Amino acid sequence: MLRTSCTIAGLLSLGVALPAAADETCLSPYMAKITGHEDYVYVWTLGVDGLGDGSDKLVTIDVREGSPTSGKVIDVDSVGSRNEAHHGGFTDDRRQFWATGLDTSTIFIFDVASDPANPKLVRTIDDFEEKTGGVVGPHGAYALPGRMMIPALSNRDGTGRTAIVEYSNQGEFVATHWMPTAAEAKKIPGGEHADGYGYDVRVLPRKNVMLTSSFAGRENYMRPFGEVAGDPEAMKKFGGSMIIWDFHARTPKKVFQVPGVPLEVRWAWGEDKAHAFTSTALTSQLWLVYEDDGGEWQAKAVADIGDPQKLPVPVDISLSADDKTLFANTFMDGMTRVYDVSDPHAPKQIYEKKIGTQVNMVSQSWDGQRLYYTSSLLANWDKSGADNEQFLKAYSWNGKELAPRFEIDFTGEELGRPHMMAFGAASLYAN
Amino acid sequence: MARTLVLASALLAAACFAGAASAHDDAYAKPSAPPSGAAAFAFTLPEPGSYRLPPIRAAAGGQVLAEDGSRIDLAALLRGSITVFSFIYTRCADICPDATMRLADLRERARRYPALGDGLRLVSMSFDPSHDTPSVMRDYGALWRTSGDGGAEWRFLTAAGRPQLAPILAAYDQAVAPVDPKDPTGGLDHILRVFLIDRAGQIRNVYSMDFLDPELVLTDILTLAGESAGD
Repeated sequence: MLRTSCTIAGLLSLGVALPAAADETCLSPYMAKITGHEDYVYVWTLGVDGLGDGSDKLVTIDVREGSPTSGKVIDVDSVGSRNEAHHGGFTDDRRQFWATGLDTSTIFIFDVASDPANPKLVRTIDDFEEKTGGVVGPHGAYALPGRMMIPALSNRDGTGRTAIVEYSNQGEFVATHWMPTAAEAKKIPGGEHADGYGYDVRVLPRKNVMLTSSFAGRENYMRPFGEVAGDPEAMKKFGGSMIIWDFHARTPKKVFQVPGVPLEVRWAWGEDKAHAFTSTALTSQLWLVYEDDGGEWQAKAVADIGDPQKLPVPVDISLSADDKTLFANTFMDGMTRVYDVSDPHAPKQIYEKKIGTQVNMVSQSWDGQRLYYTSSLLANWDKSGADNEQFLKAYSWNGKELAPRFEIDFTGEELGRPHMMAFGAASLYAN
Repeated sequence: MARTLVLASALLAAACFAGAASAHDDAYAKPSAPPSGAAAFAFTLPEPGSYRLPPIRAAAGGQVLAEDGSRIDLAALLRGSITVFSFIYTRCADICPDATMRLADLRERARRYPALGDGLRLVSMSFDPSHDTPSVMRDYGALWRTSGDGGAEWRFLTAAGRPQLAPILAAYDQAVAPVDPKDPTGGLDHILRVFLIDRAGQIRNVYSMDFLDPELVLTDILTLAGESAGD
């Protein structure tokens, strides 16, 4: 039953101004956006034993131009425990920030609307495993209208079979959708590649599709990386699949074999676009998932990231709001590489820069002029000794090169290991 | 085509209704773009009943005013039928008339399923009670439906005032704020949320502009209508 809606044509004929469908730039399409200069960067930070209070915390950094505290930490909200702080996300009204803990399966909900410069922990979900039927390792938090979608990494046995979980914005459990295994996915194309692993989830509303990626279970992500890398059996326990879903029905449509741990999913924003990028951590490739001319979804590797032979371990990627520029970080060499992806089928690297001894996350502003980087991957996977730099570094981007703006030493300030970043703006709630 | 023209005319009328105000003209924080163009919802829908819509939470109630000014218990109104419940304000020039037009489209499409009968109800509630009095809502409603036209019941509600409205908006996570606090007659910032509520008063889906596709909502309605009492 393929059909189109024609009623919107009438709206366009009235000349109603529609805002651009972009973001800053990896958030859910279902929420209000900061189209001007962000005021604050919230950093979900892993606690480090013996450093400060040793607890995970949401760190607020003032990034307002001209502010006397610009480039400084202006607020720290400790949760009083260590949970392997990892990713998070805003609700669709952008009034709450949900932050996840991979180790304890705890979700911390912060109110960022009442005072955007001073978020407050208002609720903790600590029965995630029980309510979800055995899912553990909540990874991200992705806004849907009135609810949150939580992709997880593991299950109560610690293996990589996991699920996507939904909660209402009020923190009430709604549903668990287990990632399919090959045995369960026999009837869909590529079903033999389904491995049950999970990592990221992103939706392209116009096409009613959801795209998921795959990582590893608790038995691997909570184990020191050196041990995992030296254990051939453990190295077999990583995801190598991506799944395109019927979003509305929450049912898988097609499974792609994407070897080497596909991580972050970034859909292009343009209304005429139907493609997404991901990077593979262990095979160092940039992959494109796209709808072909026949309306069929496909996946293929389109570029190497660094030298795959050197195992640079691609981590976070960030696609610009105009879909033309993609930033890709590699953890091991601390590099960021910038690709011209105007032709998504043929990315061209146009720039590279060493950010630090290690680097993980990258977030860019709506206008693509400001980039923020953080260093930590996982508590047991970060480097040690002098190479264990823990920082947030801010840059400006002029289309050709990155120029430093400021940096914050998270170890020196006794904060911990900085991970996920999200932007705040007082004007979102000014009225 | 004829229906499109009718709806566009209604939209134009709504945009001019009582002096339209732009709800989203600040350049700083914008909602995500509503789909546009004829291909906005060009995707294949699942068959009704082939998927589940798990209950999200109970639909909240409160005292509201009908078009004739009578007081209504919202909680009671939102039970007993499958209800498509939306928040709007009549001075809105962009999102609200667009959404209301899509609901009118939904109501037209629902005529294809006479078995739905009285089991479907649309409810549009204003979050601008100082302007949207019951009589204003009655006139606004007349743009979109005619009593006895054979379509599903469509009520246009408002509140007696902000004290009565505030707990309802809070219960539905519907943030509303003036674009310019110094101009009480100006536009209101809000995001669109439309709720699908089952006969037991449970919210079963929440639509933003991105997913307020009349055919998709109708598919969800038919999915709920096909559920047995024990589901």
